[in-house]
Amino acid sequence: MSGGVYGGDEVGALVFDIGHYALRAGYAGEDSPKAQIPSVVGVLEKAASVEMMDVDRIKEAAPASEKKYFIDTVALNVAKQDLEIVGYLKDGMIEDWDVFEKILNYTYAKCIKSESEFHPVLMSEAPWNTRAKREKLTEIMFEKYNVPAFYLVKNAVLAAFANGRSTGIVVDSGATHTSAVPVYDGYVLSQGIVKSPLGGDFLTMQCKQLLESKDIEVVPPYMIAAKEAVKDFEKPKWTRKSNLPEVTKSWHNYMMKEVIRDFQSSVLQVADAPYDEDAVSTIPMVHYEFPNGYHQDFGCERFKIPEALFDPSSIKGVGNTMLGVGHVVTTSVGMCDIDLRPSLYGNVIVTGGNSLLLGFSDRLNRDLSAKTPQSMRLKIISASGSGERRFGAWIGGSILASLGSFQQMWISKQEYEEGGKTQVERKCP
Amino acid sequence: MASGVTVTDACKQVFEKIKTKKDYRYVVFYIKDEKFIDVESTGDRESSYESFLEKLKIVNGAEKECRYGLFDFEYTHQCQGTQEGKKEKLFLMSWCPDDAKVKKKMLYSSSFDALKKALVGVAKYIQATDHSEASPEAVEEKLRSTDRM
Repeated sequence: MSGGVYGGDEVGALVFDIGHYALRAGYAGEDSPKAQIPSVVGVLEKAASVEMMDVDRIKEAAPASEKKYFIDTVALNVAKQDLEIVGYLKDGMIEDWDVFEKILNYTYAKCIKSESEFHPVLMSEAPWNTRAKREKLTEIMFEKYNVPAFYLVKNAVLAAFANGRSTGIVVDSGATHTSAVPVYDGYVLSQGIVKSPLGGDFLTMQCKQLLESKDIEVVPPYMIAAKEAVKDFEKPKWTRKSNLPEVTKSWHNYMMKEVIRDFQSSVLQVADAPYDEDAVSTIPMVHYEFPNGYHQDFGCERFKIPEALFDPSSIKGVGNTMLGVGHVVTTSVGMCDIDLRPSLYGNVIVTGGNSLLLGFSDRLNRDLSAKTPQSMRLKIISASGSGERRFGAWIGGSILASLGSFQQMWISKQEYEEGGKTQVERKCP
Repeated sequence: MASGVTVTDACKQVFEKIKTKKDYRYVVFYIKDEKFIDVESTGDRESSYESFLEKLKIVNGAEKECRYGLFDFEYTHQCQGTQEGKKEKLFLMSWCPDDAKVKKKMLYSSSFDALKKALVGVAKYIQATDHSEASPEAVEEKLRSTDRM
């Protein structure tokens, strides 16, 4: 095997799984991540009036930087004047490296509580990550964080392995998009990757429109001082907090989004057949209470919104320009070699937080069996637990990095020093 | 992407025996100490497919373990315009049942590639996760799919 074997079995490797909703971080070998940090941070442009509440945020070492960063739920959810919300990812890839480093600093200091130079790091990446970004990430990890060893794996591969398959098609429905990634023998077939922007955030937007059209005011919890119980459909009785600072629009929207996201995960359900108003009206309604005390039952709306994932033509104003989930899968399989298709359809692996919508995999199964030839054996695989589905890639990485045999796979510090950042292309295909 | 698990020489030797001398009907492999793939058991030429499945699937009385299996499958095949003849094909199967532990599934699926590369001359690779995928009918269908009519 190649030279750089990282010494010792007791590695205490760290695993980072970067998603659009959150960064998952923790020690390899554990069942679930230690921390889930939102993939957005609050940025305060000027350094004034931030002396209070030192606990929740990282102290900037260099006072020269004018920006203050607020990271993680606790710091992020406090109302502050002029606090802007920014993300660091774009299309699953790291876009803003400064913010990314801030988050990593925070993770090391507050969640891992150890120095980066003691732990090898395994990171997941989007299957379509570019070479330049991979090399930059490798460089940052070795140069800035001084890690003893590093490895980069495609998250689709981790998800496939964690489900006991080295070949299959990974359907990942996450916050910003739904993608189908064919994996063969543990390698991603990049020519067959298909993405669609229909993901969790899209549903959040649709829910927001629905609530607006119904004249339901969504009030994030930070504004509410007190509320009273009211009857169904009755106007909510709540009092506004009096000492609220003037918050920015982006922060308010972020808080709104959190409320709607909760609404989305508790109320929405995917119909098991194409949407039919008569059929779904017989299904019991679901009750939901908003933070300000307003509550009502939701009936067919809860099926209508997620229907857009499978049949985008039902979205108003968008038409047929986007691919539904079933279509994403068939298109992706269609771009792969004909001999591979049976093994891809036989192993459809469903993962990602958005796939936890009630009825998601059943509907996918139905849509796919309608689109595939009769003789094709179809099997949809999805982890049953919500944790396994949300952290699927992280768990896979955690196991992989803890294997004794994985030692020889790492890019060691020595190899990096000898071969430079291009090692990542050679060692982590 | 692979796990770095290696294949022992014993596996290669036993594979040569089944391939060239036809000493065994099947071989079951397992991963020892998360480091090497080793031979767990072999079956003589008279063994049936059922006994192979039993050895493959049932470990310590439960069906919750992952394994690799190599089997010399025999079936009759008729090319157009010729006599019906017997055919033997080797296939390599990875068995990862859905209710196995995630760690085992991860270990076996990420190491399958190493075994595939070590054993040269296998006709088909089969990835099985439930009984229907490992049944003799399903296997035969897969083996026949590359035969000429």
